[in-house]
Parts: sequence; C-alpha cells; structure tokens
Amino acid sequence: MMKILLPACGALSLAALLTSLPAVAKLNSCDGPIVFGTTVSETGPFSTLADRWRKMTEVFAEEINKTGGVAVKSCNKKLPIQFVIYDDQSVPATAVQLYEKMATVDKVDFFVGPDWSSIGGPVPPIADKYKIPMVMGNVATPALYDRGLKYIWGTPFPVVPNWSARYFEMIGKVSPKPQTILFITHDNPVMKGITATWSKKAEEQGLKVVGTEMFGAELKDFTALIAKVRAAKADIVYISSYDNASVPLVQQMRQLKVRAMDVHHTMLTGALQRQVGQDLEGMTGELSWYPGVKGAYSELVETVMQRSNVSMFDYIWTLGRLTSYLAMIQGIEKAGEVDREKVRAALFKATIKSPAGDVTFDERGFPDTGAFTVQMQAGKVQVVWPPEVATSKLQWPSPSWK
Amino acid sequence: MEVLLQVLIGGVLLGGLYALVAFGLSLIYGVVRILNFAHGTLLAVSGVAASLAYATWQLHPVLIAMLLAPLLGAFAYGYYHLLLKPLARRNHFEGTVGTVLVTVGTLMVLSDLTAKAAGATQRNIPVRLEALEFGDIVVSTVQLLILGGIALLTLVMHLILKKTWFGRAIRAVTQDTVGAQICGVQSTRMKALTFAFGSATVAVAAVMYVLSFPVDPTMGFSLTVKAFTIIVVGGIGNLPGALLAGVFLGVAEGLTGLYWKPEWAPALSVVLMLAILVARPRVAGVK
Repeated sequence: MMKILLPACGALSLAALLTSLPAVAKLNSCDGPIVFGTTVSETGPFSTLADRWRKMTEVFAEEINKTGGVAVKSCNKKLPIQFVIYDDQSVPATAVQLYEKMATVDKVDFFVGPDWSSIGGPVPPIADKYKIPMVMGNVATPALYDRGLKYIWGTPFPVVPNWSARYFEMIGKVSPKPQTILFITHDNPVMKGITATWSKKAEEQGLKVVGTEMFGAELKDFTALIAKVRAAKADIVYISSYDNASVPLVQQMRQLKVRAMDVHHTMLTGALQRQVGQDLEGMTGELSWYPGVKGAYSELVETVMQRSNVSMFDYIWTLGRLTSYLAMIQGIEKAGEVDREKVRAALFKATIKSPAGDVTFDERGFPDTGAFTVQMQAGKVQVVWPPEVATSKLQWPSPSWK
Repeated sequence: MEVLLQVLIGGVLLGGLYALVAFGLSLIYGVVRILNFAHGTLLAVSGVAASLAYATWQLHPVLIAMLLAPLLGAFAYGYYHLLLKPLARRNHFEGTVGTVLVTVGTLMVLSDLTAKAAGATQRNIPVRLEALEFGDIVVSTVQLLILGGIALLTLVMHLILKKTWFGRAIRAVTQDTVGAQICGVQSTRMKALTFAFGSATVAVAAVMYVLSFPVDPTMGFSLTVKAFTIIVVGGIGNLPGALLAGVFLGVAEGLTGLYWKPEWAPALSVVLMLAILVARPRVAGVK
C-alpha cells in the first residue's frame, strides 16, 4: 500500500509545487504568456464592490486567449495573457506588499489595477520604482496623478469633470425646458467636487440654482431638508451622493411628495434600488456603460460579465476595471513589443477603445472618461442619453415625480 | 410658515421615536444602574431582523413586534444573568468599568455579526400609505400611525409602572433597593426582569423606527447617545418626561436642519447632553 501511496504523494506534491510557482514573465520574448499582475479587493470594506472580480479577471483572460491573445507585431503572432491575482483585502499596506511581491518574486510584465483612491495613493510609486507600467482601475482622485509618476495611468469611469456632461447636454435639449435646479450634496470630498463642478456648469447653461443643501451620512431624518426642497420648487433636484447615504433621502422625498421635472442621482445603483425599490422609479442618473450599448469590445465585456455573473448595475465600477485590462492590451499592441518602455510610450499617445467610447490620457495619465445618462423605467435601468446609444426613450418630465 | 410647520410636525414624529428608544434605557438605568451602551445597537439589530421578517414572510409589522419583543426580552434576561450580574459582586470601580466593557463589547460584536449575516446595507419596512396634504404641508400617514402607537405605548407603560405590582416593584427598587427588599421585592430578580422588559420595549421601538427610517447594523451607538440625552433631560424613570424630552430633541434637530445645516442635526444631542451635564449636573445624577 505504501509503495503506491508514496509515489502518488510525491507526484501530487511536485504538481502542487509546480502550480504554485510564480508566473515567470518573458519580457522582450515571443515565447511565453504576457503576465499581468493585479490585486482585487475580494475581502474588506471594498469587497461589496469587487468580490466577483477575480473570477471576472480569469474569464477575461480566457476570452482573450480564445482568440489567440494579444497581437504582438515584433513576434508576428499573438501571445496569450496570464494574470497573477492577489486579494489586497481593501488594505493599502497589504496592496503595497503585494505589488512589491509581484514586481520582485512573480516578476510580472505589467500591472493592471489596483482600484480605489485609498489604495491608488501608496501603490503607484512601486510601478515607478521598478519601471513597470501600471494602468489602475477605479482611482479617480486627480491629485493622485499629480505626483510626477511616469509609469501610471488610470481608467476610472466617469471622472468628476465629465461626470454629468451627458446629463447636462440632455437637459439642454429637452422640452419643456427646465429653468431651475437645486443641489443636495452628501458631505464627502468626491460628491462635493461633483456639485462644485456641475452647479457652475448649470449656471453657465442658464439654469438658476435655487438651493444647495448638504447632509452627512449619519442623517436619517430629512424632513427639514425636504421642506426646503419643496419650498424651492426646483425643476430639477440633483442629488450628488453615494448610494447608501441617500437611501433615507430618496424614501422621504417620496413620502413627502417632492415634485420636480426630474430627480437626478449621481450614483444610481442596484444597491440603491434594492433598498428603496419603487421609490427610484423615474429618477435619472449616471452609469459608465450598460450591456446593450454597442461599442468597441462591448461583446467581449458582455460575455465576460455574463460568464462571471457580474451585473453592471450592482458592480458599477466594473467598466473601469475591465478598461484597465483593455488599455494595457492595446498599449502592448500599439507598442508592437512586450517591452515596458515602448508600452509606456504607446500608452501616453494612445487612444484606447472601450465599450463606452474612446479614452485618452493627459500627460499625468489621467483619463477623460464620461458616463451615460440612465433612467429607471418600470423597475429597470435604461440608457436614455445620448440618443444614438439609448436603450429606451427618455420620459420627460419624469411621470412619477410630477 | 408652511416650512416651519412641516419641520415641527416632522420633529414631533421623530422625537416620539427617540423617546420610545429612551424608555427602555431609562428603566434599565433607573433599576439596574447600568448604562447599557448596546441599547441602540439592540434597536438596530432588531430593526434589521424586522425588515428581514417583513421582506421574507410579509408578516404584519404589529405581528413582527409581538414576536420580536419576547425574543429580545428572553435574550436580555439571559445576557444579564450571564454577563452583567457577576459584575455586581465586584467593587464599585471594577463593576462600573466592567459594565462599560461588556456593553461596549456587546455593541461591537452584535453590529459585526449582524453585518456579516445580513449585510451592512440599510434596511427598512417599506409600507407606503397615501400621505395627508394640508395645502403645502404633507404629513406621512405611516408616521401619524406610529405617533399614535407611541402615545398608546407610553400610556400602557405608564399604567404598568403605576398600577401593577411589577411596576410598583420596579419603582420601589429604583427609589431604594434595600427598602424594597425589606418589603418583599426580590431585587436581583427584579433587576433581571427590568433589564429584559426594557430590552423588549426596544423591539417594539425598532419596528416603529424601521417603518419610518432605514436602519443598519452600525448605527446603534448614535441612538444610544440620543437616548442618554433624553433620560438626562427628561429624568430617569420618568416616561412622560422622556416623551417630552424626545419631542424636544426631535424638534430641535429639525430646526437645526432648517435654520442652520442638516449635517449638524445628529450632533445636537451630544451638545445638548454636555450642556446639561455642565449646567445642571444634579439632574443627571452627577455630583
């Protein structure tokens, strides 16, 4: 019995050892797979936004490799891709250790990710230290790109300066035309930035700003705030808030019968819908992209999301993450070589194709991404602007807020 | 004027809920002399449970309250005997510190367990009835019914405390533990029962709360602070006083939101409590 067991155990151990060996990158070679190193926040506070992204990343690699991989001109063939994925536990210090490990032990070719500004702060210097190009996912704070780092790019969707661009384009063309707007802002740096940008834009567009109200995430009773909103009788109520913080606000706006042509929410998500249900009906909002909207790589992205059971409405930052992969692949294709310096140069000049349209980077690596305007119609999210990619016609004024 | 009236009505409704949360804490502190830091968390956890029960089985909110109250009472009875009663044998300092550690620890454990089991997102019971409109003033029918419920519950609890043997025993222990024991009241048992009764009222408060506002597992401590403020203002063991203090706090928060900034309203209770503790320490039992 031992004669059978011992060799079997030995073989198993050897197999386990071989499979646990780090992926070895082959820079400037046409032999091996191109190795991307990344971390995903599978656990910790950000996991609700990203816990299915490991599977999604693996499926993405499978789908790319089904077509042969990434076209590398100098090799005159396609090379498959491979991911080294770790869980950063939503902890910046852990992420830093893992990217160091990927640079020195796993020796990955390129970095894709991480996400979130708190992690996107300390990690990018590692990319510069080892001169490894890094396309981050959802790192949206512009200041993080102002540090003179030479090897970083980001693909957050949307960025604050473009957040509601399509919405304001839309309300400039609707009939009846809105005359007044009121801003309700969640007391948070990103949301305050959005309000600052878009209240200025509203005035430039001829809308009269009839009020700006702010609330903290702890506030549960919005009676006073809503009384002021009702008294202002604004045509548009613009809520700049994270989804969770605005749950009682949306519910109480319905209970206290706020009326407007439209109520707009900057983070219209599946989580918000699950919490407020029917109260969300008729509201407009932003979404980086939605299945059904045709664009470059849209079929690939739809397939990947479907196979990995990721819904755009629930995991609203998914496009930013997948576009970081697409950007790196296109950077390599444009460079024509698996060469970090050439890929770096290509990324700075490149126009990256994504399902939501073209993405270009400024000299800091900061993108110009925007979002589509969506509206909740009969319990479903529908893209309503721009009209050429709309999945449904805009209902204006919103019937449920009349 | 309409805006002010709207805010006043909202403040009264909110204050009624605050008072209901404070009733249990007031009773517990009055009899057991324990500042239960987990009191608000019990409400948050009960609120999450009530919301889940409503979403899963579509149970009527009144039935949910009737099921939750004895469950929470039984849990609190066991909790008191297991974790709090042994601290009574310690000296005053150890007992006080131990009580704080146990109840704060409970707060953290309950919050995390609930977040793990049911998710950290906000939940409520989305019952919608047509609101009443008087010109520009809108009054939520659900909240009016809740206010009626709070008034009824206050009356019932007041009658229990005044007219029943249990209530008289509670008041006796509150006033003089030794005297109550001489008169045949088993003060230790009374303390456990009061802890259970005070906690059971939280279940009823939780159902009423989630009918108006969403709850999440981590919001409990801010409710505990509001309840502390109310019992400091209204008087320990004084239910009508707690109701008035709750309404006062609710209206004050509403007016803060109206005339100043809504983001400052949640901080008002802390400011108010500190002001009272500094200005009139005897009201809060601080010498």
